Amino acid sequence: MARKVLIIGGGTGATMLAKTLNKRTFEVTVLTASLEHMFQPALLYVAFENSRFNVVRDERSLLSRHVRLVHDRVTHIDLRKQEVTTANAAHYRYDDLVIGTGVRTDPGQIPGLTEINAQYGDYHSTLAWAHKLWANLEKFQGGTIVLGQASPICKCPPSPVEGILLIDELLTKRGIRDKTKLIFFSPYPRPYPAKPMNEIVEPIMRERGVEIMTFFDLDRIDPETKTLYSIEGDEVQYDLPIIIPPFIGADISYEPGDVLDQSRLLKTDKQTLRVMGFDNVYAIGDGTNLPTSKSGVGAHLEAKVVASMLAGKPAAFGGRTHCPVDLAYGKGTFVIGSYDAPVVKLQPSRLNHLMKMMFGRIYWLSLRGLLEPMFDVYFKLTEPKPPKATQRPTAGGETLRP
Amino acid sequence: MSDVTTSHTLVDSRGSACPGPITDLAMAYRRSKVGDVLELWATDSGVKPDVQAWAAKTGNRIVSIDDEPDKIVVVLEIVRR
Repeated sequence: MARKVLIIGGGTGATMLAKTLNKRTFEVTVLTASLEHMFQPALLYVAFENSRFNVVRDERSLLSRHVRLVHDRVTHIDLRKQEVTTANAAHYRYDDLVIGTGVRTDPGQIPGLTEINAQYGDYHSTLAWAHKLWANLEKFQGGTIVLGQASPICKCPPSPVEGILLIDELLTKRGIRDKTKLIFFSPYPRPYPAKPMNEIVEPIMRERGVEIMTFFDLDRIDPETKTLYSIEGDEVQYDLPIIIPPFIGADISYEPGDVLDQSRLLKTDKQTLRVMGFDNVYAIGDGTNLPTSKSGVGAHLEAKVVASMLAGKPAAFGGRTHCPVDLAYGKGTFVIGSYDAPVVKLQPSRLNHLMKMMFGRIYWLSLRGLLEPMFDVYFKLTEPKPPKATQRPTAGGETLRP
Repeated sequence: MSDVTTSHTLVDSRGSACPGPITDLAMAYRRSKVGDVLELWATDSGVKPDVQAWAAKTGNRIVSIDDEPDKIVVVLEIVRR
């Protein structure tokens, strides 16, 4: 008899996993709150280049016919009773559960940010907000643009740096760069948190005249005086604020409730991807508390690990990151690292930028699983190596996060 | 008598290469209050200069930084928020 696998979520990880599971072995149900599958990295180009890229597709068009798709919002998951409850008061039972419910932006955590967000938009929330940000940039004629992340946790860690560099290019092309002060703030000691990558991006930012404020962890915003204040006691004024809101896990209650951390992220084993304390429950994608980047590549690789585990083949997630970074003016690099290997210092090139663009173009095709042999080879060839002299045992066991 | 209770929070950043342990520390600081103790575990050796720069900027106190065989353990006391 086929095992009942219930996948909650309709993003990259959930869709890839549903496509991967063998239909003779598993009876797969995907339960998603939205039928709109969004290619989230494209919001960067909608907001800063007015891209007309195909950002959204119907989830129904992305799944195989043998996968049962249910459009409903999960409200409660009882992991002990193995039962999922939805907004429509439906109940679902499972043999194995995979949770890929992602994160959402939560501007309400920062006083003043909800108002700023509604007025200026952003490039991490929705397509409408990305269009709104582009509209504000389009009418901008000079002044001070301040860009940064409102919380230390940021989906797609390269995206703040990408945003400020694309604005520099945009305003230079429009001939108003000399009328604009660009200020970048970060809660970290440097613009990019991982030091090797910062050694690439910080000189580029300085060369392009971006002012950098480090250790600026946003505390509150006063929209009246157009001022941002940090927890550390600094402040900065803006004409156009581009603030990446804090992120929080899905609005789902759990039994037991302590499987969630304070950001509503699922406490997930770093290697097996099992949710703490439950052998038949896995978490993939942005909604985990794994100490690695929240990115589509991560969700992709995590889905492969869970597919193996469900098929009874031992597998372990290595914490691999492979995040493209657009450095503007047609150049790019990648943030490549893992649990065992520090981030690689990969020099910018046009080829890297072209590869980022190509990954965007083949995203919808890759969801079908047809490109997996190519990705397997690519990820193997680009696997970061732990430095021998400093190699440490891989951290294992339960992950405790703040 | 104060009704404010302080806490000792373990922040496990072992294995974090990107974005790195400083992300977890900054998140824990955001949720802390004066008197709390944060214990950060990391395997990324870059954590030492980062924590020192962070403590200098925020005015908080480093209680200890210890190299253990499988991790670096940093203990911080929050004295300023």
